[in-house]
Amino acid sequence: MTISLAVPDILVARAKSGDLEALEALYRAFETPVYNLAFRMLRSPEDAEDVLQETFLEVVRSIKQYRAEGHLWGWIRQIAASKALMRIRRNQVRATDELHEEAAAGPGGSGIPARIDLERAFERLSETSRAVVWLHDVEGYTHEEIAEQMGKTVSFSKSQLARAHARLRGMLDDEGAAR
Amino acid sequence: MMHCTMDDLLALRAGEGSAWARSHAAACATCRAELDALYQRVAQLKALPARRSARDRWPAVREAVVAERRRRRERWGVWSVGAAAAVAGLLVFHPFGIRQADAAELARVKQESATLEQQLGRYEPDARVMSGRAAALAAALEDRIAVIDGELAQLGPAQAQGRPADLVTLWQQRVELMEQLVSVHVTRAAYVGL
Repeated sequence: MTISLAVPDILVARAKSGDLEALEALYRAFETPVYNLAFRMLRSPEDAEDVLQETFLEVVRSIKQYRAEGHLWGWIRQIAASKALMRIRRNQVRATDELHEEAAAGPGGSGIPARIDLERAFERLSETSRAVVWLHDVEGYTHEEIAEQMGKTVSFSKSQLARAHARLRGMLDDEGAAR
Repeated sequence: MMHCTMDDLLALRAGEGSAWARSHAAACATCRAELDALYQRVAQLKALPARRSARDRWPAVREAVVAERRRRRERWGVWSVGAAAAVAGLLVFHPFGIRQADAAELARVKQESATLEQQLGRYEPDARVMSGRAAALAAALEDRIAVIDGELAQLGPAQAQGRPADLVTLWQQRVELMEQLVSVHVTRAAYVGL
């Protein structure tokens, strides 16, 4: 998904002054990219909605500290990714990634366009793998940034990405063979 | 024949591949195909349709924000009462520490401030819809009141006794700002018929 969101400076200034209409306008402008980011990382619509709400509560509380260095979306995305990763850590307390991966796997359908196949395969990855793939390949984060956000090493981020792509490749090959 | 691993392919995609991986991928059709497939997968991931939230979470965010602002204003109100009590204590225990004129003016402005707080509380402004301009004005006034409250908090009883005029001036400024804040809410309420 390509984000080309430009927000007028006057809207940001009004939001910084606490104007609820301006804050709602920011919410409307970034609602979908934030939800999409959270959904791709977490897969659960409920969790993604919670991250959406937590992200904008943080945006409202902290927007006075936003110094307009870089795109506003980059700042909001940082908050959203952080909230989603916190939720992944909480979820991992309840269940291991491996079990999650196995439980999510199921039989592939036939006659489905390639894009849907990839989407389904992506959803079968573990939460951690999905987060790394999405942040690196789609959002353009570096391994250093991912490692910092996840509290892990750069090697961890790189190995997760390689492992995830190997799994995606394997699953897409399986679906191709099943058709 | 040894082929590129996924790590090698990802490194090549990032422009960081080893000399061996670069030369091998250039010569090996299988690895070139794997690298192309990797590029395609990433392009397809980027092209996935945006998912949209089924529910609107803005009302919940707004409600939380309004509640936080209400609590903040209530804290100011509590502090105002505390400050007024401190001033009353000064007047009782140090009847000659503050000039009678200052004492009378202080009593008047703090009473006026309390009245305005009550008036504002009755309107329940946080529970009402405001225009963007009015909300921005109200937020700016609230910030200025918060600054004065901070200055009043720093001006403890001991300092206040030595600088009664400063204390009166701060309370007068607070009353002026409170009047403007009430005016913003009342004008807006009258205008939109709330």
